[in-house]
Amino acid sequence: MAKHSQEMPQETLLKVSTIDVFHGSFQALWDVSLAVKPGEIVALIGANASGKSTLLDTISGLMHPSKGSIEFEGKNITTLDPFQIVALGISQVPEGRRIFPDLTVLDNLIIGSYNRKARSKREQNLERVYEHFPILKERKNQLAKTLSGGEQQMLAIGRGLMSDPKLMLLDEMSLGLAPIVLNELYKALREIRERGITILFVEQNVRRSLGEADRAYIMEAGRVVLSGDVADLREEEEVKKAYFGV
Amino acid sequence: MRVTIPRLRALIPVAAVIIVLAVLPVVGAPPAWLLYLFLFFIYLAMANMWNLLCGYSGLISLCQPAFLGLAAYTLVLLSWIGVPLYQGIIAGAIVAAAFAMLISIPVFRLRGIYFAIGTLVVPEALKFVFLLWRPVGGPIVGGGAGYVLKGAAGFSTTEVYWLALAIGIASIFLMRLILRSKLGLGLAAIRDNDGTAASSGVDVFKLKLYSFVIGAVVTGIAGTAFYISQEYIEPISAFNIRWTMTLILATVIGGIRTEEGPILGTAIVVFLHFLLARYAGISLIIQGIILVGIMLLAPQGIIGSIRKTRTYRSLLRLATGQ
Amino acid sequence: MTGLADLSTPLMMGILLGGLYTLIALGLSLVFGVMKLINVAHGDLVILASYFGYTALTVLGIDPVLSLVVGIPLLFVIGLGIQRFLLNRAFRISMEAPLIIAFGISLIIQNFAQIVWTPMSRGLTTSYALESFRVGALHVPLVYLLDFIAALVVMLFLREFLRRTYLGKAINAASQDERAAKLMGINTTRVYMFTFAIAMAFAAIAGVFLGLTFPFVPTSGVSFLIIAFGVVILGGLGSIVGTFVGGMVFGLAQTFGGYFFGVTAQLLVAYVMVLVILGIRPQGIFGR
Repeated sequence: MAKHSQEMPQETLLKVSTIDVFHGSFQALWDVSLAVKPGEIVALIGANASGKSTLLDTISGLMHPSKGSIEFEGKNITTLDPFQIVALGISQVPEGRRIFPDLTVLDNLIIGSYNRKARSKREQNLERVYEHFPILKERKNQLAKTLSGGEQQMLAIGRGLMSDPKLMLLDEMSLGLAPIVLNELYKALREIRERGITILFVEQNVRRSLGEADRAYIMEAGRVVLSGDVADLREEEEVKKAYFGV
Repeated sequence: MRVTIPRLRALIPVAAVIIVLAVLPVVGAPPAWLLYLFLFFIYLAMANMWNLLCGYSGLISLCQPAFLGLAAYTLVLLSWIGVPLYQGIIAGAIVAAAFAMLISIPVFRLRGIYFAIGTLVVPEALKFVFLLWRPVGGPIVGGGAGYVLKGAAGFSTTEVYWLALAIGIASIFLMRLILRSKLGLGLAAIRDNDGTAASSGVDVFKLKLYSFVIGAVVTGIAGTAFYISQEYIEPISAFNIRWTMTLILATVIGGIRTEEGPILGTAIVVFLHFLLARYAGISLIIQGIILVGIMLLAPQGIIGSIRKTRTYRSLLRLATGQ
Repeated sequence: MTGLADLSTPLMMGILLGGLYTLIALGLSLVFGVMKLINVAHGDLVILASYFGYTALTVLGIDPVLSLVVGIPLLFVIGLGIQRFLLNRAFRISMEAPLIIAFGISLIIQNFAQIVWTPMSRGLTTSYALESFRVGALHVPLVYLLDFIAALVVMLFLREFLRRTYLGKAINAASQDERAAKLMGINTTRVYMFTFAIAMAFAAIAGVFLGLTFPFVPTSGVSFLIIAFGVVILGGLGSIVGTFVGGMVFGLAQTFGGYFFGVTAQLLVAYVMVLVILGIRPQGIFGR
């Protein structure tokens, strides 16, 4: 499975440095660091409650770290509000899809381009989304809640694309979806990467995610326990033993 | 209910204070003092109950005037058919309790804000009921829907004062009792999270109902005391939203969810009422501004803010010998 | 058939009156649906707008509906201010904080109105306020028809606004899923600010038409808050059509209540209805 053939620029797109994040008085993340380079597909793997979603939410600005920093394209985004982070080019496809059920497919996509910079490129991005997911064009005037699970996930990804992101975060895309549907989704992700958008996705299924990513981070109980190129990780005894078949 | 009984020694200063307060009217203290204390104890009882409901049980009740008005009306109406005042007070308390149980059926299905508005409707509706309904005494000539309290002559000012004192002090002990009992623990659990509490076996509905009914009874009795001193009742005053404003203000200024808060808050609010007596026209504006201001700047109230300061915490550590 | 003809007047009037109640309830419904906040001061803000209309009429001689040209922006800005500086912070303080603050605002407005305009009953008595027109054998006050038309216009405006503009879609999205809306790059703080301000603009319109229809006093706000709340709950959260239907129901309840039980009992009938609705079906008929 060829990963990517283009030259990888050396600067980091996203750099998370030693962050601690608390939910009230409960510490969810301990000293977590992570880096994503432009053009990569990076996987964030771990079981339930390992902190993966919290990490994504913190990058997106829904939560803020009590220690450490987050940089995007060299800019410090640690204390920014979510809407500012979207404007800078980070888009999240949330866990459980969370499409707007009572809006049409088209309106869901349009809302994705809410931030000013994305508005001017709306039609362009809309066409791209339809290319990735033709079914969305077919169903564009249907209410989002009438879509199947797989279609809703496509809508959620399409919506994420509408904000013209440089980095896309996907939280547990595969939940509740059949392998056939998943194949389509991952194919779309690869196409999205070909367009130049960097991807960081969160998954519980180790085998599948290692198959799609260039690099991966493995988390457990709020800490990063392993990281590296996928080829190296596959050799790790821990990975083979503890997570194989999960 | 399991209850921790305070050591006898600790009760002595408390008893002393109560005795001093009780003899004030007998030894001829100035009427202004007596009026202040009278109002203080009546509002205190009601504020403590509001603290119990909103602060500790998560029930933002805007229908306290319904209970005090109903209890007082019961008292007054019964006086017209010859029922002595003390029995009237008890009857009023029973009516308040029964009414609380009755309206709990619709309003307890509601949460938070729905509940608040639901309770807002009740005193407003009762106001209309009593404007239209004249159960005793025949139609009024010349307008107004009020009733004079009969047999008020048999109740001296001192007795009314003692009644207020009794219900006020009782409310303090009642709060202490409840908060340290199983009811209190259950309420704390409910306030934090209804669902978790329910799944740990707490009967949410029953505990809330207890709070609601207790709140109704004490508020009702305080209401009877007030209207005994007034010797006249009419619906616009009895079910007026100003009562609610006073209670909320007293609890919030003092410190919601604290035992001492309502005491301090009521003292301040009654003092404020005295100050504003000359400016009755803008009284609500002032109270409203204070209420909004406190909620934004110091929502924990005075007691709550003191508890947060370092000085208090250091003193506490010293006192508990850490 | 006098029986039927007698009933047709309260029937017609109830439906038209429903327009007024829809107008009053729309602002409340919008704020409730989007921000999950019941603005306890809503009724008083509507009455405040009625008083502004009254001043425009009696002091400046301007028709109250025309005065909305100033009234709407005025209340819009007041709404921005209340949300931005008072309610926005209240949400983060505690569950009861927004309610208590709105309660404080409510009483401040009532007292303010009492001082400026006295407790005397007021009304917007324009030249057309007393006219009626004939529909077959019925006489219907003109203002009731105006209320109805105004309600339709405002409802149409709201629907198109929510459907076609970015802000409208954002408001809609935020009401369905606040978290997802944030992830779409929507500044929810600003969205809420504008939602509240729009609700206030509606309150301005409602206030003027209310003043044309009924006499009012400083404490009238509470009554209309309760009725508006009943309308919103009956019609279901977030549904414009639902609010309209709810308005009709309460309008009819009022006119029939007055017909059968007399004028003083009208409000009582409405209040009892609210309690019954709350008890039976808090999520309303059209509720999501």
